[in-house]
Amino acid sequence: MAVAQDTILTSTRLAGISETVVHFGRTIGLPAGFAVFSVIAWELLCRITHISPELLPAPSAVWDVLSGNPRILIEQALPTTIEIVVSFAIATTIGVLLATGICSSAAIREAIYPNIVMFQVIPKIALAPLFIVWLGVGGKSIVTVGVFIAFFPMVVSTATGLVSAKPDVLQLCRSLTASEWQSFLLVRFPYAMPYIFAGMKVGVTMAMIGVIVGEFITAQAGLGYIIMFASSAGETATVLAAIVVLCGIGLVLYGLVGAGELLVQRWFGGELPAGGVI
Amino acid sequence: MAGRRSDDGGVVMAVDTIASRAGTVLAPIGAVTPPTLRQLRPMILPVAAAGAVLAIWQMACVLAHIPPVILPPPSQIAAEFWRILPVLLHQAVPTTLDSLTAFALACALGIVLAMAITYSPLARDMLFPNLVLFQIIPKVALAPLFVVWLGISSESRVAFSAFTCFFPVVISAVVGFASADTSTLRLCKSLTASDWQSFLLVRFPYALPAIFSGMKIAMTMAVIGVIIGEFISAKAGLGFYILYASSRMDTAAIFAALFVLCMIGVTLFGAVALAERYVRQHYGRR
Repeated sequence: MAVAQDTILTSTRLAGISETVVHFGRTIGLPAGFAVFSVIAWELLCRITHISPELLPAPSAVWDVLSGNPRILIEQALPTTIEIVVSFAIATTIGVLLATGICSSAAIREAIYPNIVMFQVIPKIALAPLFIVWLGVGGKSIVTVGVFIAFFPMVVSTATGLVSAKPDVLQLCRSLTASEWQSFLLVRFPYAMPYIFAGMKVGVTMAMIGVIVGEFITAQAGLGYIIMFASSAGETATVLAAIVVLCGIGLVLYGLVGAGELLVQRWFGGELPAGGVI
Repeated sequence: MAGRRSDDGGVVMAVDTIASRAGTVLAPIGAVTPPTLRQLRPMILPVAAAGAVLAIWQMACVLAHIPPVILPPPSQIAAEFWRILPVLLHQAVPTTLDSLTAFALACALGIVLAMAITYSPLARDMLFPNLVLFQIIPKVALAPLFVVWLGISSESRVAFSAFTCFFPVVISAVVGFASADTSTLRLCKSLTASDWQSFLLVRFPYALPAIFSGMKIAMTMAVIGVIIGEFISAKAGLGFYILYASSRMDTAAIFAALFVLCMIGVTLFGAVALAERYVRQHYGRR
């Protein structure tokens, strides 16, 4: 009897484990396998067709650049990363503060918010040369371009979040004689957190784009400069290596924002609002 | 809008809000009573705010004697705009055409790939996570690669721009196709409808809101992609003209070109929004 029970328990546990393995295989293994397969197919294509390495370098050539000369890539990755992080931090701070200011009064909100939304539709990247005219060639203008582009999604998301706090909770605060500031700090702001983080995820992507395009145009230092320089010199393997490093930086930063969001969710003990976020 | 991370930063939601507010404001005009000031407020206030900013800008430039190279007053920008209007319109043509081509290409390819992903679970598991990953990485860094592959003509710009705006279309189309009502699909199957018929008559119409919101994002990104492509390598187009003007420190011309670019961006975005409105009324749903 005990043996039969043990067998049933073991087989259920094994079934559970194999279920998890299959689930893991489907969700992570398949896409990762597809990516690996694509890289292998790319390598075979380059070897078989002897395609010119200036046109399409093989993954092995890109790996040679990454492993053989990492110093220059790391050297140039540093200014780019610093610019991205600084512009993202400034954009987030200004965005949240401005959104808070906008939402403090209905009249101000109705006056400014539609203009900011209109700004979202225009191609803000076209203003990059203007910033270079104003601030010269260098880190300052690149950071400003990044801030300008990342700032609007932050404001829009934060404003949406601050406006969407549940009215019953706010009324409860008022009935308990909480001041405007208290109800903002303890209710509006925590409720807006998911929206703020959604805006931050968009913001970090936009900051990257702004910094990279700034470096394309001014070409003084950084990974964007390496990309332009190497592509004009025909060293496409270096271009791809720099792109790989940039993608790595982008994924790490995005992951950090996501991790920050998880931490804040744990801290405030909340779940996402019912309708999801933007 | 549930759970969708998009690059538009709330544009879709906000534009819808503004459109519905404008609708509630304009509706009474058809009736007997004129709209009250309170109802007109959502439309007057933003325009008034923008006008105030322009006025302050003009006064600051005139009173503080800011050099026009740094910040030209709106009057000078307007004058410059009228002076170089033919040139701007001439340069606007390649930009607009490239954007439209890239957008059409991205939508066609995106919807086809979304159809393939919907009907093949294997393809969905393999491709969809990679597609979402591609949304996060800075695709703009690949722009010089397109120049290496396709030269400095407009093909490389169109290809890069299509590459950039392809991903929002696929992702929203996949989400849209997956959101079709399962009971309706089962009804189709029980009435012996083929897969293609049930796709055309049920899945596709149900997915249209999601597809249109993806298309709005894609339209904005198509223009941005073309401009970035023109920054890197171009002999024509508004992005090229802005770079050329900035190298001559002709700030008023930069602003004038930017204004034309904004108009193009807003018009193209508005065209997609209008198309969505028309389709929504025509299909008469929800």
